[in-house]
Amino acid sequence: MHIPDGILPLSVTGAGYGATAFTTWFSIRKIRQKEDPRRDVPKASLLTAAFFVASWIHIPMPPTSVHLVLNGLLGALLGYYAFPAILIGLFFQAVMFGHGGLTTLGVNAMIMGLPAIVAHYIFRLRKRGGESQRKTGVFGFLSGALAMGISVAMFVVILLTNLPAEINVISERAAIYALAIAHVPLIFIEGAIAALITVFLRRVRPGILDGV
Amino acid sequence: MSPAGSPETVLTVSRLSFSYEDKPDVLKSLDLAVTAGERVGIIGPNGAGKTTLFLLVCGVLKPAAGDIQLLGKPVVSGKFNPEVALVFQNPDDQLFCPSVKDDVAFGPQNMGLPKEEVEARVTQALSVVGGSKLARRPAHHLSEGEKRLVTVAGVLAMQPRLVIYDEPSANLDIRSRRRLIRLLQSSPETVLVASHDLELVLEVCSRVVLMDEGAIIAEGNPAEIMGDVSLMEAHGQEKPHSLIPHAVPH
Amino acid sequence: MRLLIDEYTGLESPLHRWDPRYKLVGLVTLVFAFSFVRDLRMLLAMAAVTITVYAVSRLPATFVAKRFRYPSFFLVAILLTLPFLSGESVIATWGPVAVHQEGLLAAILIATRFTCILIIGMVLLGTTPLLTNIKAMRSLGLPDIMADMALLSFRYLQEIGRDLRNMQTAMRLRGFRARRLSRRGLKVLAWLGGSLLVYSYERSESIYRAMILRGYGHAPPPKHEFQASSRDTLILVAVILVTVGFIIGDIALGHNTAALLQ
Repeated sequence: MHIPDGILPLSVTGAGYGATAFTTWFSIRKIRQKEDPRRDVPKASLLTAAFFVASWIHIPMPPTSVHLVLNGLLGALLGYYAFPAILIGLFFQAVMFGHGGLTTLGVNAMIMGLPAIVAHYIFRLRKRGGESQRKTGVFGFLSGALAMGISVAMFVVILLTNLPAEINVISERAAIYALAIAHVPLIFIEGAIAALITVFLRRVRPGILDGV
Repeated sequence: MSPAGSPETVLTVSRLSFSYEDKPDVLKSLDLAVTAGERVGIIGPNGAGKTTLFLLVCGVLKPAAGDIQLLGKPVVSGKFNPEVALVFQNPDDQLFCPSVKDDVAFGPQNMGLPKEEVEARVTQALSVVGGSKLARRPAHHLSEGEKRLVTVAGVLAMQPRLVIYDEPSANLDIRSRRRLIRLLQSSPETVLVASHDLELVLEVCSRVVLMDEGAIIAEGNPAEIMGDVSLMEAHGQEKPHSLIPHAVPH
Repeated sequence: MRLLIDEYTGLESPLHRWDPRYKLVGLVTLVFAFSFVRDLRMLLAMAAVTITVYAVSRLPATFVAKRFRYPSFFLVAILLTLPFLSGESVIATWGPVAVHQEGLLAAILIATRFTCILIIGMVLLGTTPLLTNIKAMRSLGLPDIMADMALLSFRYLQEIGRDLRNMQTAMRLRGFRARRLSRRGLKVLAWLGGSLLVYSYERSESIYRAMILRGYGHAPPPKHEFQASSRDTLILVAVILVTVGFIIGDIALGHNTAALLQ
């Protein structure tokens, strides 16, 4: 879901940084409103690292395998800490794997981070009308799938609206749509894994589900 | 099968060498043979190569040179072989299922066994380690000692011929440690134990191998090897307390 | 904690000695200017500047080469698709395959911008230790909470990574092979990920206790030790001028990839 450097114009990458700066400021404001934000920092940090490592797990998808994004689950578990966490994750990715994303850090953070915050609100809904394992699983699935779906949609829209004007739009569009369709099974897998993990956590350590 | 009367060789390691990318000569041309029913203790300082040796025997790592034979067949790295099992130093590395039952069933399920057989093995393995009442609990909620028992059950359920224990008594309280020692003493499998807990090695093992810097320094009778003060101290060990004559009668 | 990216941060070069805060501001601004460029003539200047910066940094060529594995997939994809699929004016044909001018120019533009931005990024990260870079960001305005989170996550990243490897080895030794997509397979992998989260969460409680026992939260974080010299400022000004030069130059030349051919 990353947009690499070199494709988007400055106006978009600049706007991305602006939006990210605002969302970060907003998230931190929300974080500071809690009673003891410093207590939650170790929890959020370790979970950030764990999510980063967990995304290295290969999920088989013949003929190849994929890595999950897990931004929906991240949002469900970390709440407003999710946005800084994703920003930090993207930064570490750039450092460790060197596939860049320096100018597009802002845009990519919005693509992954905004849906995470949405997922947080969706996951909270599971408590309406009584909490249960089934509801946890269902809302876990929804958080995971919707977050991934929104990310894919944002990715597609940003690319489509910023194609270099000179080139043949039709084949470019076709390629981008094909990419989007290829991600549909991934949306389901993200949802399924998020559901399985949330149900697992409810059995083993339900405190995690109530947020950092 | 070997002729009646002579013990079957379970493990043969010949001229085994291994290096990591950033650490050369972790194992230097090691030779080791283990016969059926033996309980062999591997002692030595951290970094001697004990864990590396275990990972090679299990086929997780591939030797740089040398040869490993398990029950007469060469060990193929990467291949699943339920005849050899490894109990990791940190139980958290092995426990990941939501309940103890699920975790102990993991190995047999991967072996493709039918459901009734899997259940039977789980019940049996848990009873052998004395953990039957833990069956429904989540593994993450157990004490260190209980976790240790469950990881042992998890490998015993695969009914291996050779079980390797990497620092099994680390972090255990006295009671759990005693339970572990009794378990090891009564195990019918061939056992390899790496431990800093020299008293455990004395109580459990029929043979001791002293390793240091990737080589076997000495092997033989536990009391003899571990009673040799200069040998032990030369390789970062100490003489176990129970081999030292009482200074104060008690 | 030794890190691969920090391998050459101990070298001596003007870039190594540049105040990390100014380096961050200067090189990031430069990289944004690169992303602005559209005229192909400016691409030559971009490449020249990038190569110069890299040469000045004294980082070995292998540093970049090692990190080009994943990025090269993207480059190959762009170079192999755009010229053949995009554009209207055909400039060459090989049987049924036609090379389009617009696509070719777009491919060159994207590939050059991508490569130059990547290399400057590597210089930025490779000439200052990661921890120092994070401190520099903090002194430039990165919120304390984020800096704390970055440092702490980073500290435990390697350990959690090692835990994952151990857990995967243990699973493999008990016969698990994730080859096909199956219900059981997904469940097991989900439990693996979930366990990682649980262990990290529990570990964080001990970490928090250890931190507050040594006074975490009682005093504001120490002021940064960065001290810029006039030389640092001069270099920053020079880089900003180059940046502005790129922007003005590109606009003057038409700010258009196809301008060269019209």
